[in-house]
Amino acid sequence: MPITRNIIRINDLNSGFIDEFVESGRKIFGEDVLRSVELCIQCGCCTGSCPSGRRTAFRTRKIFRETSLGFKDSVLGSDDLWLCTTCYTCYERCPRGVKTTDIIRVLRNMAVREGYMADAHRMTASYVFKTGHGVPANEEVQKQRVELGLNRLPPTTHSFPEALRSVQEVLRLTGFDEIVGFNWETMELRGRI
Amino acid sequence: MKEYATFLGCIIPNRYPGIEATSTSILKYFDIELLPINGASCCPAPGVFSCFHLESWLAIAARNIAIGEETGQDIVTMCNGCYGSLAEANHLLNGNKELKDKINEILSKVGCEFKGNSKIKHMIEVFSEDIGVKKIQESMKNTLDGIKVCTHYGCHFLKPSEIKKHGSSERPRFLDDIVRATGAESIDYKDKTMCCGFGGGVRAKDIDVTLDFTREKLKNIILAGGDCIVDQCASCHLEFDRGQAEIKKIYGEEFRLPVLYFTQLIGLGLGMEQKKLGLEFQNIPAQSLLDKINGGRK
Amino acid sequence: MTNIGVYICHCGTNIAGVVDVEGLTQKVAKLKDVSLAKDYKYMCSEPGQDLIREDIKNRNLDRVVVAACSPRMHENTYKKVLASAGLNPFLLEIANIREQASWVHLDKEKTTDKALDLIKMAVAKVRMDEPLTSLSANVIQRVLVIGAGIAGIQTSLDIANIGFDVVLVEKEQSIGGRMSQLGKTFPTLDCSACILTPKMVEVSLNPRIKLFTYSEVEEISGFIGNFKAKIRKKSRGLDESLCTGCGLCQEKCPTKVPSEYDEKMGKRKAIYTLFPQAVPNIPVIDRASCLYITKGKCGVCKKVCPAGAIDYERTDEFIEEEIGAVVVATGFDPFDPVSKEEYGFGIYRNVITGLQLERLLHAAGPTKGEVVRPSDGAIPKRIAFVQCVGSRDEHANKYCSRVCCMYAIKNALLIKEHHPESEIFIYYIDIRAFGKGYEEFYKRAQENGIKFMRGRVAEIFEEQKSRNPVIRADDTLLGMVTENELDMVVLSVGMIPRSDSSKIQKMLGLAASPDGFFMEAHAKLRPVDTLVDGVFLAGTAQGPKDIPDTVAQAKGAASGALEVISHKTLQLSPLISEVDERLCRGCGDCKDVCEYGAIEIVTLDTHKVARINPAICKGCGACAVACCNGSIKLRNYTDSITFAMLDATLGGAV
Repeated sequence: MPITRNIIRINDLNSGFIDEFVESGRKIFGEDVLRSVELCIQCGCCTGSCPSGRRTAFRTRKIFRETSLGFKDSVLGSDDLWLCTTCYTCYERCPRGVKTTDIIRVLRNMAVREGYMADAHRMTASYVFKTGHGVPANEEVQKQRVELGLNRLPPTTHSFPEALRSVQEVLRLTGFDEIVGFNWETMELRGRI
Repeated sequence: MKEYATFLGCIIPNRYPGIEATSTSILKYFDIELLPINGASCCPAPGVFSCFHLESWLAIAARNIAIGEETGQDIVTMCNGCYGSLAEANHLLNGNKELKDKINEILSKVGCEFKGNSKIKHMIEVFSEDIGVKKIQESMKNTLDGIKVCTHYGCHFLKPSEIKKHGSSERPRFLDDIVRATGAESIDYKDKTMCCGFGGGVRAKDIDVTLDFTREKLKNIILAGGDCIVDQCASCHLEFDRGQAEIKKIYGEEFRLPVLYFTQLIGLGLGMEQKKLGLEFQNIPAQSLLDKINGGRK
Repeated sequence: MTNIGVYICHCGTNIAGVVDVEGLTQKVAKLKDVSLAKDYKYMCSEPGQDLIREDIKNRNLDRVVVAACSPRMHENTYKKVLASAGLNPFLLEIANIREQASWVHLDKEKTTDKALDLIKMAVAKVRMDEPLTSLSANVIQRVLVIGAGIAGIQTSLDIANIGFDVVLVEKEQSIGGRMSQLGKTFPTLDCSACILTPKMVEVSLNPRIKLFTYSEVEEISGFIGNFKAKIRKKSRGLDESLCTGCGLCQEKCPTKVPSEYDEKMGKRKAIYTLFPQAVPNIPVIDRASCLYITKGKCGVCKKVCPAGAIDYERTDEFIEEEIGAVVVATGFDPFDPVSKEEYGFGIYRNVITGLQLERLLHAAGPTKGEVVRPSDGAIPKRIAFVQCVGSRDEHANKYCSRVCCMYAIKNALLIKEHHPESEIFIYYIDIRAFGKGYEEFYKRAQENGIKFMRGRVAEIFEEQKSRNPVIRADDTLLGMVTENELDMVVLSVGMIPRSDSSKIQKMLGLAASPDGFFMEAHAKLRPVDTLVDGVFLAGTAQGPKDIPDTVAQAKGAASGALEVISHKTLQLSPLISEVDERLCRGCGDCKDVCEYGAIEIVTLDTHKVARINPAICKGCGACAVACCNGSIKLRNYTDSITFAMLDATLGGAV
């Protein structure tokens, strides 16, 4: 049987990753919120509290440990990162005040920028580009609305085309179209899904 | 007459219009008027869009608040997700001048300005604080006596509690108090404050994980002897209602547990016609519950 | 013409690493009135001190500036140097170029400039300083000890045994404190009562200790050496001088209420003593639950008392005592885990606290030492301890409580000894076994089959039928989420400041550290002193600690208090405010701003004036600032000195 050395060489880790991570969320959350990842003492309260971790491979504290030490590729590239439902139970209980859910969200932002955005998520985003709604109205609901005595369409971007154009403009200005890969000409996602 | 700017979001107007219709007419009954926020969009979903790009999420949320503020009233949401996004955006922008300026620079291009003057409220606050449990209790026409309700609070209204400031996130009570005001019994069940599984983009990407959350909650509710779920969030509502249909399809398991938004339960107590509540448009029929209420009345 | 010597310390590299000490010395030497400037590696060392001493003698220095660390560190050292060389010690100034320069800046040039400014100011000040003489006051040679737990008991015994009088005041009806609630003690497993009760008896028999139980100190006035305490002796509802402690009243009293002393694990009567070995062995009537007092019915205790001691109408008494020093030994409260809602304490009946378990394990406790489940009285076979409940927690107490690891291990071992078949788990983040014999004790627990589970418990839920608590936790060593159904869960709660500690704090003018415990004067070098002269700390009032540390600190506090009261007189700092009675109009503004109550307005023949008690005045200068017509001066901190200092650094811009 071949024998492999199963050792992580700490020297080879990306020690700059933590700063890169802090920088990418600093403007929204402030530095302290993100630096709190380094306060983790691996007590496991987050993972023990995690309804996702009880049924999946998602390990909150492992993500924090890897982030602190600089396992950039395995943190951002792992599908597990997307198993948090943002229920905030760990955030509430963390004895060290680690801002868990904010940290996960910033890591996901980084993963998206690295090209790890799932097609299903691109699809969800595309509805907002097209309609202003993540969950747009369908024919059936429009009928139900009328039966309930409501307008066929709600007074949202569904009823106000100029409002939809505003939403689209905002998303263009923030560069969300580039991030998601949305084609304004075809009004569809770029590439095959 | 008190007025609120109503932020509808997506799931309520576009999937569960019964909640919109019921809430509007009950509030009218209690002398509270809901004003539309014309041209509002997706909030956008806090655990989904903020995970893709925080700045885009924040800008769209700020736009929604900005056009809501133009009504001059506080903004009320019906979904924990919408509440989560708007309340968090409000908190982040009001606490960070630099960020606020940056977002307003974007909004100025579409003729909007986020001022941060309006409070973001949730429908549950309107009922438990503006109207109050006592008044709800006194208004009941149908007794819901004998109905065993399992409440589900969801996540983004309560948490993070240091920002949302609605008291205990481990053992909240206000929704149970409202349920009790209708005469129904609120019963405990295992992992009551656990997430429904909808959030964080998990439903879109890994629906089997989401449904496993939902299934566990449903099992615990059935085990405790609940007749129905009462929630306060459109996303959780969809998860429990549509989720049951999906679970049936994938796992062949059937729970047949009616799912009610809390205003729909109050509507039943007020004697509103079933048709007006929109329950018949939901995936899971509420007939068993209605029979129990009517049976109890006989 | 003044002759000032300036001494600049390198403090190893602490100062010299950032400040250009040599360049600085050269510049300082050129300042007006500075006749010499010298630098040295460690000015506080013996050769450094000699350097100053020799220069005073040989170079006729009449004033000295030392540029070094904070005056809090070594001002006294250098004052003594001046005095030994025959120079008035108040002709010394310290320029703090360490804490205020080298430690807080990085840029060498700018830091050196700042150090120069600080020295210039010190030179400007010392030039105008007046020689002063210390004052003296008489000392009342008695000590007040507040709190008679193990800390207060030890302090009192030490002081009394050396031959001085102690006034010992205990709030509860018996002395003994928290230690008396404990079953056995770690790591030796000797029974708490067996080692504590002899000391309690010793207190009651020692003629030098005046004991007030069921009493509280309500007011303290005065100053070091001369305090006055007002003590409220609460009514026990009986005449203590008649009571023989026969216990008949307790036996016959028909009212039972949950016992606070038993942490609600047992009941007590409405007339009761805390425990059989109580000192004094005299009961108290609980006015809230006594049927006679609340409803006018019953009166059984009065009927049965053979001594005729019961007196329902008895009122509180007030006593005044004069003392020279005070030791605060008020102890701790256990953290109330109700606020950690995820653990369900108060909802799940079989989830109890560590102190409740102590009562169950206590041979004289409500179950006579048998551990039983609150829900059904059954003997639990699977027990888990949850560590760090409310400790090391940003949402509760940030600090480690230092005793919980060891008391959980101790109680786990005791249960295992009683019932070897039981399965015991300890859920922990880190096991902190830092004391003598503690690590060995931890190992002994492992040898006895106690399972250590590494991971902070996330939540507890309850199986409805069995009422068994279930622990959910990440086993961080396995990397697996686990659930563990148990018969009973014990929450290892930590120590928090006593609920009434803010009252004591205010009464004595003490400071509290961020954790809420009373703050010592210096974390390392003055751990039993407070910032209030003559007031000392002992035991857990200062911070969480175990019994050995408490006793050690209590002995330290005794020595601190003795240092004050063993002399008949004491020296007081002359750096205080003084009133020019010719100018003062007695308006009282100074009295209003004085934090220490040092100022009195007295009426002279023709007008009123302010008088400052030199023993109380701390020299803070608030009165001098408040005085509307400049009739109060703070010695050596006059306006003209302050302006001269500003001039020195701002170059005459003021």
